[in-house]
Amino acid sequence: MNLTIGYLYGECMNIYGDTGNIITLQKRAQWRKISVRVKNISIGDRLKLGEVDIFFFGGGQDQAQQLVSEDLQKGTGEIIKAEVERGIPLLSICGGYQLLGAYYQPHKGPKLAGIDLFPAYTQASSQRMIGNIVVQLTSELADQLASSNSLTRQSANSLLIGFENHSGKTYLDEKAKPLGKIIKGFGNNGEDKTEGCIYKNAIGCYMHGSLLPKNPQLADWLLQKALEVKYSKEMNLMPLNDSFEKTAHNKTISRFS
Amino acid sequence: MRIFLAILIGKILNLVIKTLSLGGGSAAPGLYALKIEPNLVSMLASQIPQNIIITGTNGKTTTSRFITHFAQTQKIKVLRNSTGSNLERGIASSLLFKATVMGKIKGVDLGIWELDEAAFNNVALKINPQIIVFLNAFRDQLDRYGEVDSVVKKWKETLKDINHKALLILNKDDTNIAKLAKSFSGKANFFAVKGYMIRDEALSKESEVNEKSDFEAANIKLNNLEGITFQLSMNSYQLKVNLPLPGIYHIYDFLASFGVGYNLNLDSQKMIDSLASYNPAFGRVEKLSINGKKVWIFLIKNPAGTTQVLQTLSPNISKNDSVLVALNDNFADGTDVSWIWDSEFELLAKIYGLKIIVSGARAADMALRLKYAGIDPKNISINDVLEKAFKLSLEIESGNLFILPTYTALLTLQRILTKDKHKESYWRDD
Repeated sequence: MNLTIGYLYGECMNIYGDTGNIITLQKRAQWRKISVRVKNISIGDRLKLGEVDIFFFGGGQDQAQQLVSEDLQKGTGEIIKAEVERGIPLLSICGGYQLLGAYYQPHKGPKLAGIDLFPAYTQASSQRMIGNIVVQLTSELADQLASSNSLTRQSANSLLIGFENHSGKTYLDEKAKPLGKIIKGFGNNGEDKTEGCIYKNAIGCYMHGSLLPKNPQLADWLLQKALEVKYSKEMNLMPLNDSFEKTAHNKTISRFS
Repeated sequence: MRIFLAILIGKILNLVIKTLSLGGGSAAPGLYALKIEPNLVSMLASQIPQNIIITGTNGKTTTSRFITHFAQTQKIKVLRNSTGSNLERGIASSLLFKATVMGKIKGVDLGIWELDEAAFNNVALKINPQIIVFLNAFRDQLDRYGEVDSVVKKWKETLKDINHKALLILNKDDTNIAKLAKSFSGKANFFAVKGYMIRDEALSKESEVNEKSDFEAANIKLNNLEGITFQLSMNSYQLKVNLPLPGIYHIYDFLASFGVGYNLNLDSQKMIDSLASYNPAFGRVEKLSINGKKVWIFLIKNPAGTTQVLQTLSPNISKNDSVLVALNDNFADGTDVSWIWDSEFELLAKIYGLKIIVSGARAADMALRLKYAGIDPKNISINDVLEKAFKLSLEIESGNLFILPTYTALLTLQRILTKDKHKESYWRDD
């Protein structure tokens, strides 16, 4: 089996530890004898349908966000949406998450257009929301994550741990589903206790840290969904020895919540 | 007048801290003195004939130490802020310790001030420097400084207000730094290493910098961890340099320092000769020998710096050696440990069978990073308490020990080394 990870705008949207998520997806696939290729999708590249099995979209600096927002409007955004509709998993963090909503309104200047994948919008604020973050997944998602491999099922862990650092406040529309509820931290906007958004198999959130190494259940869920779409059948991933992952996960949670 | 009171309070506080052995920190006296006299820094610094500012993400301490060494070996009396106190309060402390209670600074020819990337914007104008060195702009702890773009943008704004008689000394190999010349009305000198380009963080490649290098290193020869030999070119002549530090990144620190010395009319050959007696700073390639074991300490603090350290070390580590990585997440380390995922720990995986001990408040995160870097978990041991981890690593029979601590882990390590009499004094500043 093989998978292609599409790293959206990796050369400029890779702030602080985003690469850790790619490394984690790669390694966890390779340890299960699934070969992995990382395809960088840069500004100006024309993405084609079916080229990518998992999308990852990280955060960037202001100047990068603007260029990326423009590029997304030139076709790439439409392809991403179509792919998500057919079940392709996607993980977006911080800046990437913001650009997949309706729009990002900076302090000064015009709105940066999003692609309306997530029913949400983001507004710049003067509040810096920074620190370790602990999130309780919605029960629906927690159940799904638990079933992605037998090992995590036994120790079903419905908490995610990360580090947020943003001043944009994201507000979800009524029909939007949050990723989970804040136990510690600010989350989407520091006001409504929600964090992130999920639509089909696409996730947006504010969790750096890096997110996936310390939350391997989420990494496995993304891999499982990708394989299921690609090979059109139900998949069960081979369990891995996650003792280091669990130690890091549990220690961070007990330290910060 | 307030300044007398500010100096007096600062001096008393310093005495109290020293008497009670409250540790090496030198920020508190300056902090309280500034509350009494907010203009303390400019009032005192203006009495020093020449002042130099050094800023940038990596290499400030080493650069400031090189310049100090060059100046002192040529009989120039230097005043500088101590390692790790690179905010306004640290500078205020150094100045008030030196000042008389009447507010006079005497017997100082040169002030050498290393400034934090953000503090630069507040303090540079107060110092009114003759020379400003910009070393590089890498991602540092984002929770403290924000993004590289915004750091550089603020520098450009500050430079518009800097006296045009000042001289900038700029790293030509870092596009963000080289372009600062355009925001400044005065003169700039450039330094570069031939054939190297610091990873370019700038997104747009517009306006390449076509300045010539005033100080350039070429024909680089790495001598393991002992140092580097290279040819230094400037104007029409060349000099051979034996740098007693490993790591290409130290060549940049040297070039910047040499550029400062050159512009201060120091003797070029004497500067280069003085390198033979240079002692590295606190945790920056510190070498110790403990119970017959060679121990090296390399501070790690951000992705670029850590990758440079790993690039320097990895060819010189064998599988009989051991590595101790200590990761803390205090404010001074950066509370976000994501950066370890952007550092190339994969380089250690090439040393098959190498034993690595991880420690610090975020030891578990570090262990995980190493596992994903390709190191067999069997060769990784976790011990959160640095003192225990350090003792265990000393007990490993064969090989050298390489310690990579983050900033506050380095402070703890220094305390342990002093307590166990491996080092003489806690704060080994000059």
